[in-house]
Amino acid sequence: MSVELATRLIDILGGLLLFTMLLILAAGQLFRAIYAVAAQAVFLGIAGAVLAAATGNVDLWIIAGITIVAKAVLLPWLLMVVVNRVHISREIESVMPASLTLILAAGIVVLAFHLNASLGPVRQAITGNALPVGVTLILIGVLVMASRRKALVQMVGLFASENGIFFTAMAVSQGMPLIIEIGVILDVVLGALVMGILVLRVRSSVDTDIADLEDLRG
Amino acid sequence: MDAIIAQVSRTLAQAVLLVAAGPLVTGIVQKGKARLQCRAGASVWQPYRDLLKLLRKGTVQSDTASPFFRAVPVLVLAATVTAAALVPVLWTPGGGDLPFGDAILLVALLALARFLLAVGALDAGGAFGGMGASREMTVGLLVEPALMLSVFSVAVTGGTTELGLLAARREALALSWTAPDLLALFAMLILTLAETGRIPVDNPDTHLELTMLHEGMLLEHSGPGLACIVLATHVKQLVILSLVAALFLPLGLAQGWGAAGLGLALGAFALKVLALSGFLVLVESSYAKLRFFRVPQFLGLGFVCAFLALALRVL
Amino acid sequence: MTSHLLWITPLVPFAAALLMLLVRSRRALAAMDVAISLAVLALTVAIARQVQVHGAVSALGVFRADGLAVVFLLLVGLLSVAVSVATVGWMRHEVGRGQMREDRLHWYFALVHAFVATMLVTVLSDNLGILWIAMEGTTITSALLVGFHGDKHGLEAAWKYIIVTTIGISFGLFGTVLIYGAAAHAQGGVLTGAMNWSSISAIAHRLDPGIIRIGFIFVIVGYGTKAGLAPVHMWLPDAHSQAPTPVSALLSGALIKCALFAIIRFHSIALQACGPEFSSGLLLAFGLVSVVVATPFIIVQHDLKRLLGYHSVEHVGIIALGLGFGGPLGTYGALLHVVNHGVTKALVFLVAGDGIGRYGTRDMRRMKGFLGLAPIAGTLLLMGAFSLAGTPPFSIFVSELIVVRAGIAGGRFVPVAIFLAMVVIIFAGLIHHVGQMAFGSAGEGAERGREALTPLLAMFLLAAVMVLLGLWIPVRLDEVLSAATGVAGG
Repeated sequence: MSVELATRLIDILGGLLLFTMLLILAAGQLFRAIYAVAAQAVFLGIAGAVLAAATGNVDLWIIAGITIVAKAVLLPWLLMVVVNRVHISREIESVMPASLTLILAAGIVVLAFHLNASLGPVRQAITGNALPVGVTLILIGVLVMASRRKALVQMVGLFASENGIFFTAMAVSQGMPLIIEIGVILDVVLGALVMGILVLRVRSSVDTDIADLEDLRG
Repeated sequence: MDAIIAQVSRTLAQAVLLVAAGPLVTGIVQKGKARLQCRAGASVWQPYRDLLKLLRKGTVQSDTASPFFRAVPVLVLAATVTAAALVPVLWTPGGGDLPFGDAILLVALLALARFLLAVGALDAGGAFGGMGASREMTVGLLVEPALMLSVFSVAVTGGTTELGLLAARREALALSWTAPDLLALFAMLILTLAETGRIPVDNPDTHLELTMLHEGMLLEHSGPGLACIVLATHVKQLVILSLVAALFLPLGLAQGWGAAGLGLALGAFALKVLALSGFLVLVESSYAKLRFFRVPQFLGLGFVCAFLALALRVL
Repeated sequence: MTSHLLWITPLVPFAAALLMLLVRSRRALAAMDVAISLAVLALTVAIARQVQVHGAVSALGVFRADGLAVVFLLLVGLLSVAVSVATVGWMRHEVGRGQMREDRLHWYFALVHAFVATMLVTVLSDNLGILWIAMEGTTITSALLVGFHGDKHGLEAAWKYIIVTTIGISFGLFGTVLIYGAAAHAQGGVLTGAMNWSSISAIAHRLDPGIIRIGFIFVIVGYGTKAGLAPVHMWLPDAHSQAPTPVSALLSGALIKCALFAIIRFHSIALQACGPEFSSGLLLAFGLVSVVVATPFIIVQHDLKRLLGYHSVEHVGIIALGLGFGGPLGTYGALLHVVNHGVTKALVFLVAGDGIGRYGTRDMRRMKGFLGLAPIAGTLLLMGAFSLAGTPPFSIFVSELIVVRAGIAGGRFVPVAIFLAMVVIIFAGLIHHVGQMAFGSAGEGAERGREALTPLLAMFLLAAVMVLLGLWIPVRLDEVLSAATGVAGG
């Protein structure tokens, strides 16, 4: 696969990732956000495969596969298990008005791409629009976490942020070393596990959502 | 001279095609929804029968309506058919000398139609008409800028807002979409749902007052007037679908009047419209109608996508 | 031989953690705990000796012990021993009080040792990716420890902790990726060592400054979240106060320093790539904001452990200030402060744990007459508090003085002035709080038992180090710190 074709495909996948990120931000129901983040992980896996074909780096095939298994299947399944165990209301409430978050998201995208335009020749080290899309996903993920009340939505925002990092990491040079990527995915899965445990423990002892606890102040 | 006549005849042919095929597309969408709900559903030709039935009926008008009310249906139909003439359906413009109008005129004509409907509804003095009109105008306020932004994001690279030229350019680029293209496409799909008055923005099957946007404005019309407006609705839906197809889905535009080329173009057009209708069917069957105060949020998503499509083109 | 030490050192506590899951007896677990910590300390001292004599050591291509790592290694080892010794008595008291369940003790000890193991890997890693993985590992293990009691506040603190720090160090990972990209680009393609700090540092002057700037911003925001720099410090008072006391001591004493270690590594790269003003300026700004933000919360605080948490924020700010002032003096001061604050904070946390066990509450207004109830611990409390406030002849005074001198030498009079003003305010507030606690007469609810031996032992150890370093810095330590300063780019 030629470099230009790979760059174009990465651009398209970047656009798809952006759209799914906006879907997560605008989602009114929890399971839509979970499906969107699963779709993101699938696009991420496809991007990995594209880069593997373009650079000839065998490790990237493995990383793409593990990404799909861990982030598109395992993590959403974990979230659905917690959702079913916990019987929370499916609607996502937000702290700031939805239109404001959408405007902030648009601002973030413009900022990220502007930043990308101001970089010099080092931009060649990163294929296509992976850098601004990565920055966008990270920042909008943080926006989702900051503007939503439910613990599980905050976790979804976290996973989406990490998808952004992964996207950039895969596109940098010829991808990061295999052992690092595997370690990172492992950490993400373990972290998600611990968060799920905490959510369930709070549910069983106090009947509120863990992100709603606000007693510790000052 | 010949070229001008050819151009005019092509434009008229496209307009006639869209007007004739409009109710059919609605029928296909209804049939698709029925099938997904595991029932047989009405035939795809039912909308034509409904139109004929309406033409035969008499007109009843509210006492408080002015003479302008009688003119509204005809004006709406005229505006929509004129818009239909502007969309490149089968042909790319080959050496057109007459400037027939571009994307901005198209959106303006559709906006004019919406405005006339709203004014007519207010004129009749009914409560449902007033409420439907206010809601429809709110949706219009959110949709039209986004529509313009989507079109502009495609027009910026083409350097023109002439729809025919944009369609030709899309044809030439074939399958090479870029990220802004995708964002603009997603935005257009969201806006299509709003402009065609389908779930999750509006429910076209209902006549319950709380869920009416479009239907609320039609309540006071009857007989041939109502037939005109219903036909205009069908045509508008097909115009929007053709716009999406022209701007984003390439391949299949003919050059002249040759039979083979025409047949191919017709087939390609039918395919694209069927695909988009399938999208409408799936969305209508999978989602519930949004409460009205959530509609701006939904449309805001479309607006942001369109804005980003334009911004990413420029950056 | 030494290179094997590098990977054996974290392996020992990790293997011990797995073993501890099988043991059920409290005494056996406590004994294992102390033994493993002593072993870890011995290993870290051995590594330190080797590095001092032979210079930097590498192992397996991903680990590295140089002058800078040695400082942090010794800190982690020392605190691990102190905490383990104190836990013996503390745990007995907690089980007796019903706060800890006997059947879950093995999880506690296993998690603590896994936590220590991840911290060791963090400090020993050369590979920036492994550094991140280990840092996330510390978050995961310590989050479970913070919420160990299972009560509502503990779980809330644990949730805030894990969410905020995970997203924080994700920023750090992104910065790492960017810097790796810049390094690979400068090398003209991927290079097997390109994720290693040593390789990147060698070519740092060739790196594109634009992308290093963006990368460093992400790194300082990211790892700064983990270190407790304001304005992303919100999780720290909650987590450090709700955790079991020995864990709080490790969190405040060691973990936030490990996050600072990561920042220092990147800082040394940025110094060469972008010039000294950029990263030093950022560190200075964050440090000053941390000190200023922490001060009012210290004054109005009622919860003892929360007070100590905010104090940690302030002192991390001081370390960042020292790094920001830069130069050999500023960096030396910052590194010395790392050690001093680690030791002192752990001491005060252990004393606080003793006090909380005695009074049954964390509210300082209800804890009175500590000196009367427990004279030795009370004296240590006063000493620790004075030290934290920056009084001579204790260690923190020395490192703060060095930092201030560095600031003046660099001509940064405004930050120094603000810093000194805050220190004065904090001094007043802290002495007021602790004075109320130490003097007066205790109420009826307070336990008047004998003072537990092992916590006192640990506290003595830490206090001795604290006083020692306040009076004079041993030559060996001076050499170690100087070497570290050199590595850090001072």
